[in-house]
Amino acid sequence: MKMVSIQNSFQKRPIGLSQGLRFLLLLTILLLPLGKASAEEKMVIGEVEEVVLRPWGVRLPARIDTGAATSSLDARNLTVKNNMAEFRLSKKYGSLQLRLPVIGWQKIRSADFRERRPVVEITFCMGPKLIHTQVTLNDRSTVSYPLIIGRNVLKDNFVVDCVHSNCLPPSCSEVPSQ
Amino acid sequence: MVSPEEKVTIGTVEDVIVFPWRVKLPARIDTGAAKSSLDARELKVHEDIVEFKLPQKYGGLHLRLPIIDWRHVRTPEGLERRPIVELEICLGSRRFRTIVNLTDRSMVKYPLILGRNFLKENFVVDVKRRRTVKPNCSDTFDEENSKHLRSIH
Repeated sequence: MKMVSIQNSFQKRPIGLSQGLRFLLLLTILLLPLGKASAEEKMVIGEVEEVVLRPWGVRLPARIDTGAATSSLDARNLTVKNNMAEFRLSKKYGSLQLRLPVIGWQKIRSADFRERRPVVEITFCMGPKLIHTQVTLNDRSTVSYPLIIGRNVLKDNFVVDCVHSNCLPPSCSEVPSQ
Repeated sequence: MVSPEEKVTIGTVEDVIVFPWRVKLPARIDTGAAKSSLDARELKVHEDIVEFKLPQKYGGLHLRLPIIDWRHVRTPEGLERRPIVELEICLGSRRFRTIVNLTDRSMVKYPLILGRNFLKENFVVDVKRRRTVKPNCSDTFDEENSKHLRSIH
């Protein structure tokens, strides 16, 4: 009698297993699109990260700022002529003189003044990613970081963990892979 | 140290409930802010007590809290001194006691900014999301821990 019951259970097991597998397969197919944009697959960065400005190779520390809608760059001696913005980076980062086309203007509301800041496009390497993005230009000499990376950059690529900083050093390949 | 996987992932805006008054406020999750801050209107300081109102939009609740410290903030207008108080807030299913600067934030969109001092140990921010966790904390008010939090009637 004992033998029979064991055989029975052996016969039943393969059927139960395949049903279980089928269910699991169905579940994975259903859940696959949900998992796509999950935080686990995005790269974790800290509150401050180093980036490398392309093509000039200037290394800048960037404040990772989920409170900022757009990114912004510290531009000294800023002038705009014929839709070209001319400025230099701060002395601390080599005073590099830059001349870039203005692609738009950002209006800034503040308690006492209204301001218009030029928007340009820059490319920088953050972790393994080459990022081409818009930044607003303004004199940020009163604050600690020359580059603020806002939600426009963070959105698709990164999640922010404030316990860390400098956890994803720039590691783009030499040839920009646009 | 808690690894990112164990932390709760939240979005750029989350609803929180301020205890014990159970006022619901949308909070901007801001890794660019070192400290959290709360929109305090009609702010008055009497020695070590601060009185203020929440914005009308969120009920205009009149609060009176002990000042636990002062913070010096650089603004375009010069150096400003802002009182710091302790708040108890519910985010997701947990209650937190945290410190916030009080400042008139009528120019900005969110009445509460949660900065790095709050986010550090507990949360990871994914800016692609918003309102990912509903505030859902137990009602039992912890009298022992919160006796110095009082409202004015």
